Amino acid sequence: MAELTYREAVAEGIAQEMRRDEDVVFLGEDIGAAGGVFKATVGLLKEFGPVRVRDTPISEQAILGAAMGSAMTGLKPIAEIMFSDFLAVCWDIVANEIAKARYMTGGQMSMPLVIRTANGGGSRFGAQHSQSVENWAMMVPGLKVVAPSTPADVKGLLAAAIRDPDPVMFFEQKSLYPIKGEVPDGELVDELGTAKVLRDGDDVTICALAAMVPRAIQAAEILSSEHGIEATVVDLRSLVPLDTKTILRETAKTGRLVTVEENPRLCGWGAEVASIVADENFWDLDGPVIRITTPHIPLPAADELEDATMPSADRIVREVSEKID
Amino acid sequence: MAMNVIMPQLGETVSEGTVSVWHAEVGDKVSPKTPLFDVSSDKVEMEVPAPGEGTLLEVRVEAGTTVSVGEVIAIIGKEGEAVEVVAPPAAEKKETKAEITAPAPALSIATKASNRDSNGNPLSPAVRRLIAENGLDPDTISGSGAGGRIKKKDVLAHLGSGAAAKPAPRTDSLTISGETEVIPFNNLRKMTAEHMVRSKATSPHVLQAVEADFASVGRARQAVSTQWKEREGFSLTWLPFVARAVCIAIRDFQRINAQIEGESLVVQRRINLGIAVDLDFDGLVAPVVKDADRMSLSELARAIRDVSSRARANKLTPDDFTGGTYTISNSGVFGTMITAPIINQPQVAILSTDGVTKKPVVIESEDGESIAIRPVGVLAQSFDHRAIDGAYSAAFLHRVREVIETTSWKSMLT
Repeated sequence: MAELTYREAVAEGIAQEMRRDEDVVFLGEDIGAAGGVFKATVGLLKEFGPVRVRDTPISEQAILGAAMGSAMTGLKPIAEIMFSDFLAVCWDIVANEIAKARYMTGGQMSMPLVIRTANGGGSRFGAQHSQSVENWAMMVPGLKVVAPSTPADVKGLLAAAIRDPDPVMFFEQKSLYPIKGEVPDGELVDELGTAKVLRDGDDVTICALAAMVPRAIQAAEILSSEHGIEATVVDLRSLVPLDTKTILRETAKTGRLVTVEENPRLCGWGAEVASIVADENFWDLDGPVIRITTPHIPLPAADELEDATMPSADRIVREVSEKID
Repeated sequence: MAMNVIMPQLGETVSEGTVSVWHAEVGDKVSPKTPLFDVSSDKVEMEVPAPGEGTLLEVRVEAGTTVSVGEVIAIIGKEGEAVEVVAPPAAEKKETKAEITAPAPALSIATKASNRDSNGNPLSPAVRRLIAENGLDPDTISGSGAGGRIKKKDVLAHLGSGAAAKPAPRTDSLTISGETEVIPFNNLRKMTAEHMVRSKATSPHVLQAVEADFASVGRARQAVSTQWKEREGFSLTWLPFVARAVCIAIRDFQRINAQIEGESLVVQRRINLGIAVDLDFDGLVAPVVKDADRMSLSELARAIRDVSSRARANKLTPDDFTGGTYTISNSGVFGTMITAPIINQPQVAILSTDGVTKKPVVIESEDGESIAIRPVGVLAQSFDHRAIDGAYSAAFLHRVREVIETTSWKSMLT
């Protein structure tokens, strides 16, 4: 068992799969010689060389166009979009081409590629470099959507995403890059579409994703010590496929659902989770669903304002303790 | 600063609404967290909270009055604050329409009639389900939530307090001595136990039985017995005849084929017969023969054979257990005379067939009375007295017997 940072786990996961399968290639802006702008891909160019690890021009369309073409012709590319905000630049390729290829060719063609991207706020990067856009990807049929919260999950889920025969959007939360965690030694391959129950409590079930997971856990400890409220915390880890079985089981157990979402409120992933729970678990609900989200606004760059917009542990504690009765 | 309370828009095409109830009086503190008044139109009935924190200073519209959307119906402000004269939009007050405010009949658990307790606190879906399943009165449960709201755990605690009187189940240090043998419940046993207790707690069971003459059925079985077994590979039992007779009788007594939801009886149009199957003393299941009424006698016999043999081979699928609307239990193979069955929830009745044995029967004819030897069996039905009454159940049983006795079964098989 080694202690790795979230960013080191990214490079480890990619390296593990590139060693195993020579069809795996990696391309993106400044990912090679510079080791990534977030230093999440250090060492890969040195180990695998400039044919398999390619620095590209600043053109998101070129990156994903090349990834798509190479996936269509037999490779298993990993493409990096530096900031998830820039997915908007190349959304035609993502939403209309990559996501539809298997369907429109009647299964003759698969699209085994991974689009990695740094997602989310908290780093004072302003409205165009801080968005949490996992819900954009969740809305497109044909895409799988993964967003890990720990170094071990980064490595295991990234390996699973690379081995998956279909396109996977892999959202790394940029404020999590420096966090450390234990990662098992040796080959690590996780399973897409499996949530993890990180804390067990009888009063309320909190579903969270990526950077909101450590905040939800911190909030759960405060709720327990200061308010006597025992929360179950579920790390969804993957939005598509979504582990509805775990969500429904854990929600039925407590009768209360809280979603903690970094994406803006309207059509955030929690709305879909709430809808599924209302459909299938209505008679187990013991009170209204509580959604805690970033408001429906462009993210501000100023420290205090950005902190005020994103769900914090304090805000989770306040909202849950006020609304739980 | 005083605040107007206005008649809300209840729908895009609705222009007026009726204040059916005020939940506060002038001088009361009000808040957005509590209902201020109920409003109804011909389309909906809903509760409306106060638009802000404050004291109710003035009520301008009495309960039962219909006013236009947007009209000021009350004023909220600080205690003692002088009420500003807010010019309301000109609106004509309509005559009170009693029929609009009359509560609609309850349709299901989810209707307004049952979603609050008598203190006006909301009952959550989970609480409503537990109350319905266990036949509880919410007023006997003390709530620990905000304002005394009953939470799911309060209901569970309430249920647990009743169970606390029972001896605690022994879960540890059980040893098999020479005098006892401990047989832990398997999952099926646990589910059966839970279902039976719940059914008895939910439905007031009433047992009724009729004695039926199976002579016509017996003639039919005898006539085709050998060729049936050769053709189909299994024996033709009494059960398909009873099942067919039940299907025919349900057409005339549809409320037998139903379930209770809240304060309504939901009558099922499809007739899906649950067939209780004993798994060689190792449990009981009731797989469902769907649309049994659309099958001929032979088809029904094959369908019953299919689910029961798959049940014994442990090859039933979840679909085989869903959608049952009436259940038949058959203990006849052991020659029992009568069985009082427990209702298969959420159905409202269940029939037990027992042994068919030869008995002396008094036959009435034009030539007078005589005694004959006839195959006779008892048909016993337990019904949920919440759903139907004894006369209805008895009339249904009478019809089943009539079909069994007077149908020319032989002609259906040959």
